[in-house]
Amino acid sequence: MEKKVLFTYIDDPAQVKVETYVGHGGYTAWQKALKQMKPADVIDEVKKSGLRGRGGAGFPAGLKWSFVPKDSPKPRYLICNADESEPGTCKDRVLMEHDPHGVIEGMAIASYAIGSHLCFIYIRGEFGGPIRCMEQAVKEAYAKGYLGKNVFGTGYDLDMIVHTGGGAYICGEETALLNSLEGERGMSRIRPPFPAIEGLYACPTVVNNVETLASVPHIINNGAEWYTSMGTEKSAGTKIFSLSGHVNKPGNYELELGTPLSYLINDLGGGIKDGLKLKAVIPGGSSTPFLLPDQLDTKLDYESIAAAGSMLGSGGVIVLHEKTCIVWVIERLIHFYRHESCGKCTPCREGTGWLEQLISRIERGEGKPGDLEKIESICDNILGRTVCPLGDAAVMPIQSALKLFRDEWQYHIDNKRCLVKSEFAFA
Amino acid sequence: MSSADDNKVTLTIDGREVTVPRGMTVLEAAKSIGIEIPTFCWHPKLKPVGACRMCYVEIEKMPKLAVSCATEAMPGMVVHTDSDLVKQGRRAVLEFILLNHPLDCPTCDKGGECDLQDLTFAHGIDDSQFDFNKYRFIRDKKSTFDDYRLGPEIIRNQNRCILCYKCVRSNKEVFGEYDLGAFQRGNITEIDTGPGQQVDSIYSGNLVEICPVGALTNTDWRYNIRVWKTQKVNSICQYCADGCNLTLWKDRQKIYRATSRRNDAIDEGWICNRGRYGYQIANAEGRLTVPLIKRGERQENATWDEAIELIARRFKEIKDKKGGVCIGGLAYPGLDSASLYAFSKLFRTILNSNNVDFRIDYKMLPEEPGDLYTQITSRKFSIAGIENSDVVLVIGSNLINEHPITNLRVRKVVTQKGAKLYTLNPFATKSGDISTDEIIYRAGTVEALINGLCVSIVEQKLASDTVDASKLATRVEPNTVAQAAKISGVEADRIVGLAQALGEAKHITLITGELLSTSITRDAITAAIMNLALLCGMAENGQIGFLSKYANSKGAEKLGVMPLLSDSLIAEMKTLWGGYPEQKGLGADRMILSAKKEEIDALFVMGSDPMLCYPDGQFVREGIEKLDFLVVADLFETRTTQMADVVLPLSSIAEMSGDFVNLEGTVQHFDQAIKPLGQSMPGYDICNKIASALKEPLFESVARMQPDIMRLLLREENPEIQRELREVKTSVEQASGEYTVPLFVVDQAHHFAHLTERSKSLSAFCSEAHLELSPSMAEKLHAETGTLIRVESEVGKVILPVIISEHIDNDVAVVTRNFSANPVNDLQMRKQRVDYVRLTRVEEK
Repeated sequence: MEKKVLFTYIDDPAQVKVETYVGHGGYTAWQKALKQMKPADVIDEVKKSGLRGRGGAGFPAGLKWSFVPKDSPKPRYLICNADESEPGTCKDRVLMEHDPHGVIEGMAIASYAIGSHLCFIYIRGEFGGPIRCMEQAVKEAYAKGYLGKNVFGTGYDLDMIVHTGGGAYICGEETALLNSLEGERGMSRIRPPFPAIEGLYACPTVVNNVETLASVPHIINNGAEWYTSMGTEKSAGTKIFSLSGHVNKPGNYELELGTPLSYLINDLGGGIKDGLKLKAVIPGGSSTPFLLPDQLDTKLDYESIAAAGSMLGSGGVIVLHEKTCIVWVIERLIHFYRHESCGKCTPCREGTGWLEQLISRIERGEGKPGDLEKIESICDNILGRTVCPLGDAAVMPIQSALKLFRDEWQYHIDNKRCLVKSEFAFA
Repeated sequence: MSSADDNKVTLTIDGREVTVPRGMTVLEAAKSIGIEIPTFCWHPKLKPVGACRMCYVEIEKMPKLAVSCATEAMPGMVVHTDSDLVKQGRRAVLEFILLNHPLDCPTCDKGGECDLQDLTFAHGIDDSQFDFNKYRFIRDKKSTFDDYRLGPEIIRNQNRCILCYKCVRSNKEVFGEYDLGAFQRGNITEIDTGPGQQVDSIYSGNLVEICPVGALTNTDWRYNIRVWKTQKVNSICQYCADGCNLTLWKDRQKIYRATSRRNDAIDEGWICNRGRYGYQIANAEGRLTVPLIKRGERQENATWDEAIELIARRFKEIKDKKGGVCIGGLAYPGLDSASLYAFSKLFRTILNSNNVDFRIDYKMLPEEPGDLYTQITSRKFSIAGIENSDVVLVIGSNLINEHPITNLRVRKVVTQKGAKLYTLNPFATKSGDISTDEIIYRAGTVEALINGLCVSIVEQKLASDTVDASKLATRVEPNTVAQAAKISGVEADRIVGLAQALGEAKHITLITGELLSTSITRDAITAAIMNLALLCGMAENGQIGFLSKYANSKGAEKLGVMPLLSDSLIAEMKTLWGGYPEQKGLGADRMILSAKKEEIDALFVMGSDPMLCYPDGQFVREGIEKLDFLVVADLFETRTTQMADVVLPLSSIAEMSGDFVNLEGTVQHFDQAIKPLGQSMPGYDICNKIASALKEPLFESVARMQPDIMRLLLREENPEIQRELREVKTSVEQASGEYTVPLFVVDQAHHFAHLTERSKSLSAFCSEAHLELSPSMAEKLHAETGTLIRVESEVGKVILPVIISEHIDNDVAVVTRNFSANPVNDLQMRKQRVDYVRLTRVEEK
């Protein structure tokens, strides 16, 4: 069901001010962590809360923090990944624009947990609004002594740098983000070494998503038990879903994990636009496989969506109604992934280009017999064979669309036009 | 399990068990048992990036194909390098790579040695499913064939590029250069220079060599010959004492290119552009091909017989009249050992003179044999050994220019192994960019600075207990950090900080270069450095490299091409030759001084150009003009050959086989690539002809002489150096009157001595002498790049265009000496420790 934790004050325009944020109980978790808890306690609490990465992979946050070697003489860094660029996803932007201090407080607590004295928030370059909000909020937090030297008189120093990216999708991938932050070209690194061991400037580094970090103050304030009381056993807490596409009321909705997809689309989203029928749902950002109308009962948690054959991902739910041509959708997506492929590894770099050429020609009505088999074989040669998940992200929706809507593709090739009367536009 | 076993892992590759050191990749483990896994982006000296995906292997229990270049070998792994899945994966990668590749092999210079050709041949399929037009990078909207210059010598064809990024990666990782990068994204990624930049570092040629396809080609090789028509010849670079191993690629009488012949002890597969393009002097225009004899005012063509007859007659006249002491010899230390040996033997056994020297561009040097400097230089130094150090200290060397490849080893230990680099120089250098502290001292005060370091080490109680440090204060001057700071102009806390780093270091490599070896106060600086070395315990844990400069300086030292030799070396020569001249010999500087005083009547110069390279041009000219008889052997007409009575055509290194001794003391052989040009002859044959005409041949054949040469070259003196602190008093010269800017005469990065200006490719990087100034100095003179500046010293004047330095930030004038059009040695004074000059702008009319 809808449950406002991160969104408690999201509608209060004054929440961006540090005074309002503090008035709403802000920065108490930071103070509590710093004064009453040891870093290991913080990690323990977050581990117990079951908080999982909200950027897409769903890796347990507390576990990730505990990978930072405790005896390393090198400085450690915390990085907040605010390079939100997955098509269909716009939740981090809302948090930064409407509750920036929540993000700062989460970053501060996470920094303390891993022993970092310098943390970064890497914000997507196109995010003018969020950048300004975060910069202003960081300034205010410094002024109030929540950041800087000797925070709360505990002797703990913490600096925070707002860094803006150059606008590349790949920089949301954590190792590419590290390269970009170091001033190198945004291209993913091979792992191992993992960032927790050798990340930014070859020092131990933790990279967490905005939403993940924003959840941390609530967990510290209310305890792990409170957090696990929400959601399912393996997917605890709440998550923001960005609902878009052919629904009547698109928007960001915070739900307890485990809420059925139909509740989001029909009850909150007001159902499909123009009274049309649902065709398919992309549940977790554009790189996840489609769900079909008969899967609307699927619960929105990591395990249930995986069982249904897709992924929770970043929570970008894209709804497509019956008048949407699936080939057109895929053509838009592959265009995006071809454009964003960083150029490092061969299968993604060359494969996405080839796929775009093939899929566009089918979309244009110039498809040839055998093209679908060719597309499938190219997808097989990309999936699981690239440095980073961008290659997988590019081919998963294609494979899914080919599997679920093969007749539509075939119709396109045979008849040189769409099977459905396409409107060629999202709402 | 024993600790030795902890460092090993055993795995199975293609059914064969292999045990390798922990940390090795699967690819390397396979290689170690002769299983070749195909790669494009992997390189033994670069960090793996896993970009090309060609090196897939199947590892049991792993869900996906693994890239073997970036997968660490783990105990118990079962690896398959040739399974059906692996083959399918490779074929898919090749298909991807070839999608947009032009397949213009017939006109591609890489054809025949192209990784893409070879691997497609071995692993690919002959048909593509791709039925679109290939993507073409278009420039200037004219042609789809994209040829684009990245620098003076590198041409890029982006269509052929497979984006392995080895050029960009090596440029950054190994060479520390950021002038090349990738632009755009995805399959339209381009390799290009940074805005307003050129790929023109001295390492830039390596980027072409490392390219697996024909995307980067260099102008010398391009469209000139197919690789299968050439033959490979093993060679050694002649343009510094590093001794990089080269391969010359030749067809009949022409050399087409030089590439690296990887030797991990020395060059690790990298060479600088001097080595890569310097071969061009062999086939360059203007080579001397016949002997010349001066008749009246003109030098006219002559036969060898005429020339030798004349030389023999004149030498004999002089020797009979005034003795062999009136004949002197200057040999170029970049000559092969046989020529240097024959030169020394000619003088000592036939002309009965000890007046031989190879130290052609040295200022006045002490003439005593067995001094501390010689003791130190005769000890072993190891380039690979730099990797054992946690601190590298460079004193008085523009290392990147003097020893480009040693510089790479220093870079490696600093950037990859965490060692600290400290540089002490009178002006900032490019190699200082990675130093923990780059200390700039006031010109001519280095021993004061080193004394300060010694004092601080003792004060911080960090001195090694193998030396009695209590006497330091009475033996050195200045003997406080504060005084040292005042004299050298270096802040006291930086002296203390460096002293601490040196005192705490576990293993130090100390390197000095040309600024020390050519200094007239070399003895004092050497003593100061020895004190420092003893206090830091470097004798036990470290190495001192007083790096020799020329390709065979070390060989010349060992062969005794110097006037005064150690007793043991003289004894060797007596055994070899049955005699040795009695009279004390004169060094290069004294020979010219004696010529000026008409005490030396004849000079035989082999391979060097003192008129251009010897400090104090005025002095040299006056000396040479007074000579009765000058014989010069060289490859080209030089400022010195122009004054000669007889000019002899010398063969280049490519035209003979022989050996060089590099700065480590390693003897390295090079093979003959082409026949001697015209009537030119190797140095040893010339010496032998003269000897034969005078008295008797020096040798029956070079091969017969080789055992004698090797006996001297392999002789190790390794003298025990006394472990006591030495006296070091500082004498500081002040700039006088209107000449206030310290002058440094150095080799240009892309040039070496007087030879390389004949290389077309190297001249494309730089073809004239420059005055390098700091930005602030340039501003004071209202000078921009190219502005002409009059550089005047007390003794000479030259006009040079300005280059604004990217490194230098103090008030010094650095000028380059390698260009015959600009004899900048005119500015130097032989008795001056530091030359000072006055700079004025040449006003345009």
